[in-house]
Amino acid sequence: MMDFDKLFVTRDWFGKPVRRNEDVKFVKGEATYVDDIDMNCAHVAFLRSIFAHARLKKIDTSRAEALKGVLAVITGPEVAEVTKPLPARAITRPARQYVMATGKVRYQGEPIAAVVAEDRYIAEDALELIDVEYEPLQPVMRIEDALKPDAPLLFEEAGSNTLLDDTMEHGDYEKACREADMVLKETFRVHRYSSTPLENWAIIARHDKGTDSFTVWANDQQPGRSMTTVCGTLQIPTHNLRLIVPESGGGFGIKLAIWPYIVILCLLSRKVDKPIKWIQTRREHLLGGTHAPDGIVEIEMPVKKDGTFLGLSVKDYQNDGSFIHTAGIYGLIKFATMVGQYTIKATRMEVLSIATNKGPTVQNRGVGKPTMTFALERMVDIAAKKLGIDPAEIRFRNFVKPEQMPYTTPSGEIYESGDYPECLRKGLALGEYDQCKKQQAELRKQGRYIGVGISTGVEPGTSNLGYYYTSSGVPEYMGSGEGAIVGVDYDGNINVMIGSVDTGQGHATVIGQVISDMLGITPDRVRVDNTLDSFISPYIGHSGCYSNKFNDVDLGAVIKATEKVRARIFTLAAHMLKADVSNLKLGDGHVHVTNDSGKKVSFKDIAALAYKKITLLPEGMEPGLKEIAYYRNPYAKLPNKQNFNVQLTHSNSCHVVTVEVDIETGFVKFLKYVIIHDCGNQINPAIVEGMAIGSTVHGLGATFLEEFVYDDNGQLLTTTFMDYLKPVAATVPHFEMGHHYSPCPTSLLGSKSAGEGGAIGSLAAVANAVEDALSPFDVKVTSLPLTPEKVVKAIKETKVI
Amino acid sequence: MIPSKFDYYSPATLQEALSLLSEYGDDAKVLAGGQSLVSLLKLRLASPRCLVDLGSIGNLSYIHEDGADNLLIGAMTRYAEIAESKLIAEKCPLLRQTALVVGDVQVRNRGTLGGSLAHADPAGDMPAAILALKADLKATGPKRDRWIKSEDFFLGMYATALEANEILTEVRVPVLNDRQSAYLKAARRPSDFAMVGIAVCLKRAKNGTCEDVGLGVTGITDKPYRPQHVEAKLRGQKLDPAAIGAVAQSITEGIDVNGNIHASPEFRAHLAGVYLSRAIQAAIGS
Repeated sequence: MMDFDKLFVTRDWFGKPVRRNEDVKFVKGEATYVDDIDMNCAHVAFLRSIFAHARLKKIDTSRAEALKGVLAVITGPEVAEVTKPLPARAITRPARQYVMATGKVRYQGEPIAAVVAEDRYIAEDALELIDVEYEPLQPVMRIEDALKPDAPLLFEEAGSNTLLDDTMEHGDYEKACREADMVLKETFRVHRYSSTPLENWAIIARHDKGTDSFTVWANDQQPGRSMTTVCGTLQIPTHNLRLIVPESGGGFGIKLAIWPYIVILCLLSRKVDKPIKWIQTRREHLLGGTHAPDGIVEIEMPVKKDGTFLGLSVKDYQNDGSFIHTAGIYGLIKFATMVGQYTIKATRMEVLSIATNKGPTVQNRGVGKPTMTFALERMVDIAAKKLGIDPAEIRFRNFVKPEQMPYTTPSGEIYESGDYPECLRKGLALGEYDQCKKQQAELRKQGRYIGVGISTGVEPGTSNLGYYYTSSGVPEYMGSGEGAIVGVDYDGNINVMIGSVDTGQGHATVIGQVISDMLGITPDRVRVDNTLDSFISPYIGHSGCYSNKFNDVDLGAVIKATEKVRARIFTLAAHMLKADVSNLKLGDGHVHVTNDSGKKVSFKDIAALAYKKITLLPEGMEPGLKEIAYYRNPYAKLPNKQNFNVQLTHSNSCHVVTVEVDIETGFVKFLKYVIIHDCGNQINPAIVEGMAIGSTVHGLGATFLEEFVYDDNGQLLTTTFMDYLKPVAATVPHFEMGHHYSPCPTSLLGSKSAGEGGAIGSLAAVANAVEDALSPFDVKVTSLPLTPEKVVKAIKETKVI
Repeated sequence: MIPSKFDYYSPATLQEALSLLSEYGDDAKVLAGGQSLVSLLKLRLASPRCLVDLGSIGNLSYIHEDGADNLLIGAMTRYAEIAESKLIAEKCPLLRQTALVVGDVQVRNRGTLGGSLAHADPAGDMPAAILALKADLKATGPKRDRWIKSEDFFLGMYATALEANEILTEVRVPVLNDRQSAYLKAARRPSDFAMVGIAVCLKRAKNGTCEDVGLGVTGITDKPYRPQHVEAKLRGQKLDPAAIGAVAQSITEGIDVNGNIHASPEFRAHLAGVYLSRAIQAAIGS
C-alpha cells in the first residue's frame, strides 16, 4: 500500500460515495454498445444442433445459399479446415474441438453452420433451409453417467470423459485423520446456473481485402488474451487483427468465452464485401453462452471434540459440459481457497473435470467459490450440530485470527489482511442472532418455522493466471497486470484509457476520484474512455474486466501513469515558473510555488507549452503530455503445485440470515438479511455497497430460482426467462449492511475485490438458515436450488434436500 | 425479436377484422395486448401468415353495467384498467384481485382480458376468475354474436370454443351481492405463471355456512376449470379450517394433473389443496 500523504494532494474524493458519473448515458440509452454501431452491416445467424450428442453425417446448405438475400454460408467442417483446434488450458487429457461442430455435435445448441444475409430475418429464414443429417448418439448428461465404464465418450481421443483428475495434497492429511475424534463426511451438489447480463454477446467483424486483416468490435471481457487466441486459431499474425471493445452491458465472466464466435465471424467476413454483425439472442445465450458447471463435492473433515478442524479433504467433480478451453478451471479455483476463513492445516483436493453433453461452461461470478463455500460452510454447520457447538462459536474457534495476517494457507495462498472474528461479531450483532434464536423457539410453539443461518466466505480477487496450468504444467500466462494511459489535453483536462473495459462497475467514476486527488482537480475534469482498441489502448495478455482485478492492478496502472504525468507537469511548471520542483505544489488545477504566494501556472498553460509552444520547451524535452504505464501485482508466485497463490487479494464477508419456511408450500421468506463486508479501503463506498447487494441477489437467484434443467435426452428445458428464473425486486429481501476495513497491504490503495462476495457467501447462509428452520423435521440441506417442491418433499418424506 | 414473416393488418372496425379472419381462417392470429402471442412469435413457436391487430378498433375497451345486474367488459380492456376500475372494485372485486397479480406492471399495462381468455393458457390467471364468477363470453362472428358460458369456453391447451372466424368481444359478469372473494396463486416468483391458482367467489349464510360458492382453478391441467364437485361439497358446510381441509384435496379429483420443471403433478395437486383452503380463508377475511 502506498503512503497516501505522498500519493494524494487532496483527500476530497477518495473514499467518498461519489455519484457515478457514467450512469446518465446508460439510463438514457445513449451509451454505444456493439449493436449501436451502425455500419450498414450484413447479419449473421447460427444453425445450432437440435441434438445433445450426434454424429454429423451431412450438411447441405444449397437451399439456404439459393435464398434471395443470403450472402454466404459457412459450416463447421469448413471452419475446421482453416482453423486450429481450441487451446485447452487446465485439462491434461487430449481433447480436440473446434470453434464450430465438425464430425459430431456435443451439446444442444452447438453451432453447426452460420449464414450471412442482408438482414437477420432472412438469415434466420435461411437456417430453416439447411439440411442436416444427424446420427443421434446416446447423450451423457450427469456426472455419474459420464463416469460409467461403458459411457459413450465425448472425446474419443481422450479415452475417458474425465479430462482432468489431479490431486493436490498439502500438510499431513492422514495424520489429521488419525488425530481426529471423528471424521465427518458429506456429499453436496450444486446445480448449473449462470449470469445473464442485459446485453448478450455481440460482434461486428470487417475484413479489409487489401491487407487481409480484420477489424472486430466485440463486448469481450478479456481482450488481451482474445487477441492471441483468435489470431492463433485463425493462424494469422496478431497485427492483422484490430480488436475494439466498446461499452459492454454486463459481463460477470461469461463474456470471457466470446472469442470462438469472433473467429467464426472473421471467417465469414472474408466471404462478403461488407461488415457483418451478430447479436446473440437470449435463447442462444441460455443454450450455450455460457454456464457455470454443476458439480458434486465430496467432503471429509477430521475434527476434534472441541470443534477444531484438523483437516479437509475434497473430491470435486465438475460437470464442464463440452468446452475444453475452460474445462477444469473451476476446480483449481475452489482448491485455492478451499480452507475458507479457517486455520485448517492439512488439505487434500482431487479435482475432476468431467465432459458431458451439457452446454459449455466458462468463468461465472465467483468461479467455483460459491460452490466451495456452500459445501464448506454447510459442513461447518453439520460439524457444529454433531459436536453440540453453536454454529457461530465453532467458527470463532477455527477462524484465522487478525494477528496471524498475512496468513499463508497450506497450498500457498496468502490472505494478506482481514479480521474474520470481528466481522462475524458485527454480523451477529446486526443480525440479532441471539434474539432470533429465542424468537425461533417461541414461534415453533405456534407452528411457525424460522431459522437463522451464518456463512462466512473469502472473496478473492486479481487472479494469478498461472493457476490455469496447475495440472497441465505449461504456463502461457502468469501473474496479473494491466495498462493505462493518462494524458493532459489542450484544456488541461485529463483523458484516460485503460486495458479493461468496465461492464457496469463504475470504473470511470472511481478512476476520476483517484486521479482528482492525485492531481488536485475535480472529477468532472477527468474523462475515461471506456473502450479498448488494440491499436491504441495500452494492454497486456491479462487485460480485461474480470477476477476483481480493477481495484488492484487496473488502478495500479492508472496511478503509475498519473505519477508519470504528474512528474512531467512539475518539470514543465518548474521551467515556466522558473522555480525548483521541490518548491512546487498542486492545487485547483494549477501548480503553485510554495514559497511565493500567488505565483502559479494552470494545467491549461502547461498543456499549451507541451502541445503548441513547443519551441519554448526546455532543451531535450519531448513535446506532448501523455504517459503510458503498466502495472503488475508483485506478489504473484510462479506456477508450482506445492506453493502457489491463485489469487492475489482476499476480501471477506459474513452473512447472517433469518428466514421463515412455509412448511405447507415450501416457500421461504426472509425476515432479516445482514451482510458484513470487508474489502479493505473503499474508494467509493456507494459502489461497494451496490456490488455487495447485487452479488448477493445473484447468489439468492442461484439458491432459489436459477437453474439450467436438462431432460434425459439432453434437451435444455430452460431456454427463456419464463423458465430460467431470475430474481426480481419482489423476491429480494431488505439488506442491512455493515462494513469492516482491513486495508490490503499488497495493493497500492489498500483496496480489495468487491464484486463477488455476495455471490459466494449467500448460498450457504440461506441453506443453513433453511436447515435450521426445519430442524424439527430433521431435514438436511445438501443441494440447491431450494425449490418449494424439494422443501415440501423433504419435510414430508425424504428428509434431504 | 426475429419472427418469421407475416402480414400485419390493423383494421379500424370489427367488421374488417372479422372479414380478414374469414379470409385467412387458421392462418390468421388475432393480436390483442400481445403479451402471450408476441413471445411465441419471437421464438418462432407460432408462425401465422397474418396478424390481425385489434388495437385500432375503438370500441372494445370499456367497463359498464347493463342495467340487468351484469357488468359488461370489453375484450380489449387491459388488466391495469380492470385493477384500477372503481366499478369493478365495488361490484366484482375478484376481477380486481386477479388482475392485480397477473404478470408484472408491463404485462398488466399491455395485456387484455379478452386476449388472456382467448389465448387460454392453461396457467392463465383471468380464466380462473371468470370461471368462479360464472361469467359469459361473447363470440362475435361474421354473421352473428353468440354467448358462451365460461365453463364451456376452455377446451384444452390454448384451445377455446371460439371458431376460427370469431373474435371474443365482450365478457358479461353477473353482479352478485354479499359475495366475498379471493384469488391466490402459487408461483415461483410473483410475476410468474401460476403453478396453481384458485379463485373463490363465496356467499356465506348468516350462520357462517357456505350458501353458494364459485371456484376457478388454473395451472393444474390442460385448461382452467371449475370444480363443480367441490363447490357442491362446500355448499351448506361450515367453513372452518377442518371442514375446508376435508374437502380441499378433492379439487384435483378426476383431473389429469400436469407437471413441469417448476412442479411435479404430485406437488401441484398438493398445492391445489393448500391453496383452496387458503383462498377460501382469504375470501372469508376479505
